[in-house]
Amino acid sequence: MKPLERLAAYNQGKSIDRLPCVPIIGNTAARVTGVKVSELRGNGRLLAAAQIAAYRLFGYDNIRVFTDLYVQAEAMGAKVRCPLDETAYLESPAISDVASIDTIHPIDPRKAGSLPQHLKAMAQVLDAVGSEVPVTGAITAPFTNASFLIGAENLVRLTIRNPDAVHRLCAISLETSLEYADIMIAMGCTPSLTDPMSSSTVISPKKFREFSFPYLKRLIGFIHDRGKSVTLHICGKTHPIWELMADTGADCLSIDNEASLLAAKEKVGRRVRLMGNVPPSEVMLQGAPGDVRAAVRKCVAEAWDSPKGYVVASGCSLATETPFANINAMLGAVRELGYPVAASELDQGSL
Amino acid sequence: MLSSSIELYQQLSDAVLEMEEAQTVILAEDIVKHGLDAFEAIDRGLVQGMMRAGELFEQEEYFIPELLLCSDAMYAGLAILKPHLKTEQMRKKSRVVIGVVEGDTHDIGKNLVKIMLETSGFEVLDLGRDIPPKAFADEAALAGAQVIALSTLMTTTMDGMAEVIRYLTDGKIRDRHQVIVGGGPVSLGFAQRIGANGYAPNASEAVKLTKRLTGDSAICKQIK
Repeated sequence: MKPLERLAAYNQGKSIDRLPCVPIIGNTAARVTGVKVSELRGNGRLLAAAQIAAYRLFGYDNIRVFTDLYVQAEAMGAKVRCPLDETAYLESPAISDVASIDTIHPIDPRKAGSLPQHLKAMAQVLDAVGSEVPVTGAITAPFTNASFLIGAENLVRLTIRNPDAVHRLCAISLETSLEYADIMIAMGCTPSLTDPMSSSTVISPKKFREFSFPYLKRLIGFIHDRGKSVTLHICGKTHPIWELMADTGADCLSIDNEASLLAAKEKVGRRVRLMGNVPPSEVMLQGAPGDVRAAVRKCVAEAWDSPKGYVVASGCSLATETPFANINAMLGAVRELGYPVAASELDQGSL
Repeated sequence: MLSSSIELYQQLSDAVLEMEEAQTVILAEDIVKHGLDAFEAIDRGLVQGMMRAGELFEQEEYFIPELLLCSDAMYAGLAILKPHLKTEQMRKKSRVVIGVVEGDTHDIGKNLVKIMLETSGFEVLDLGRDIPPKAFADEAALAGAQVIALSTLMTTTMDGMAEVIRYLTDGKIRDRHQVIVGGGPVSLGFAQRIGANGYAPNASEAVKLTKRLTGDSAICKQIK
């Protein structure tokens, strides 16, 4: 089955060959086509080619055009460092104090930073394989993007000291996100949201409700109005905010390996689809194929019968150097289990 | 001890816990003005307050924003009280060199560990973020630090941790420092594989680990 067929059948409760499976591939795609990681960011053609080749090589169920979390913030003035062959990282935020907030403005994703090249990549991926696999574009959610605009420590201090400043930064970030999502959807691409700073490892559920939730909800509402479904990924601990995450309207919650898939199923499995949470570092990057198989079986045992459905996935984006053998082992383990998953297939110990 | 001084120390502790930086400064100045013992005020007031904040953090009552504001208050109080410590109170502390490895600029986690280590009585030399392996070794040697604490949030930069240990080993100075590692992608298995002396999943565990590795009973006593 092609991914789109598989997902459509799964959504309708029809027969499928296996559960959907998404090793969240980012810059590992560069290793597939043999280009440098830094070449992908500003070159839509190379980014598309790498993502298409990675999809064809591994055969997973969702392509996400993603290089790093900083592309929107960079377009809005943050400085990003791009090592030749590693993932880009934030060198300095756009501003360092509240007084400078007025200097930041929403930008036009068709023109600013590397966003035009990301959009070009999405268009080319859609053109090549959009008829068989969902193509998504990564959007860094407003609260996290705000942290790149003024610095993470600054932002979290401001959540207590100057809530209004945080809201202003989130609102500016939201505007850029809406614009970016709008263009993506117009070309047939589905936005996918990532929001690491909203994690309960960083801020309290109360602060999540105050500073992340309203903006996520508006962004997701907008995407729904345009006819697309939304996956929301928040890293680290999220158990205190699962209900709120579901309240944002997200259709699928991507759960980090720091959180329990089983507990998530029990708490919100009736409301949203779940995906996760094979450990990206310990298992996918540093483990052997046997470890990957065991981790997949544990995840499937926990969540395959989640009422709104389950997608086998890594708990977060995969590291660039994740061995191909481990990505293949992930898909292989899911194929081996088939669907429906027989309880006898799963290790009793992990149930 | 005067009951009023005990009361002041308690107020100092509360001000830190309540993230009241301005109030902490006023109380610290009061303590200096009244000629009360600066060491006691730090120990029973500021440090005590920060310890309580750390407990709330462990219990998921406080999160990173709260902990950072508590530490702002603690440091503001320390800046006032420290100059009034008597020399015999400036006891020798175990030193820790801490930093985020090269290629990574995420430093909230590292900063929390630093805050909690300082609260627990360690002297912490913070190298900052994006630090090359050689700098860790050189700075630790220079400072006579028992512990080198390495942090990263990125899988791409984990190898930098192994690099620090290789550098120490190649320089035949591996036995002079305990190397501890932490951060999102880091695990106990990884720590063992690269030959680190310890791994901690969060700031409070990092403090316990550091105490264990330095065998600093004086420090253990101070916090109790």
